[in-house]
Amino acid sequence: MFNAKILDTGEIVFAGRLDASQVDVAEKLLEEVTTSRTLNFKELEYISSAGLGILLAHQKRLKETGHAMRLVNLNKHVKDIFILTGFDHIFKIE
Amino acid sequence: MRRDFKRQISSLSQIFSFVSEILTMYEVNEVNSFSINLAIEELFTNIVKYNRNSHSDITIEIEKEGRNLKVNLIDHGGDEFDVTKTQEVDVTRRLEERKVGGLGLHLVKKMVDNLEYRYANGESRITFTKNLE
Repeated sequence: MFNAKILDTGEIVFAGRLDASQVDVAEKLLEEVTTSRTLNFKELEYISSAGLGILLAHQKRLKETGHAMRLVNLNKHVKDIFILTGFDHIFKIE
Repeated sequence: MRRDFKRQISSLSQIFSFVSEILTMYEVNEVNSFSINLAIEELFTNIVKYNRNSHSDITIEIEKEGRNLKVNLIDHGGDEFDVTKTQEVDVTRRLEERKVGGLGLHLVKKMVDNLEYRYANGESRITFTKNLE
């Protein structure tokens, strides 16, 4: 199961497992984002290439207007996925 | 253990339950479980996406052989597509030049210990092994 929400602070929280059957949930939420945001992955347990694809598409879109997504609190497995795909150079990760 | 799954992305939740049962039974650790789940998802979704003309179920077989977990994904229909011979992804490219395509198989190759593909009599068989130590 995967959940995504935007907090009152503007921070975006991803939780659960972002697999290919759940990307529409992430897509629907990220479509609303038009300015720089922090994505909190504290409760994100799993991500596959389908999730990376959505993040890549929206990072590209935001960069066109000088904005970007910043990722925080990645667990070790999720962080490894970003490193293995070179996405740690595409996103600022803290 | 062997089970058939409908050729659709929404089968993933059933697949993860099936895989979880087996990994728990074999007491596979968290690091290896993550890699095995990811490899199965990427290979399964790849079959679903690129063999749209077939409607047959996809079989997943998982067994332990010594120190290794051996996983087969068997596509009983569809075209030949050798997952071991895909173009390398250049992970050093800038954001503007990056594409989504190929990332899944790139991750599979990084996370499993051996990946093989066989095609015979209209059946594709993808086999990977993961050392559990």
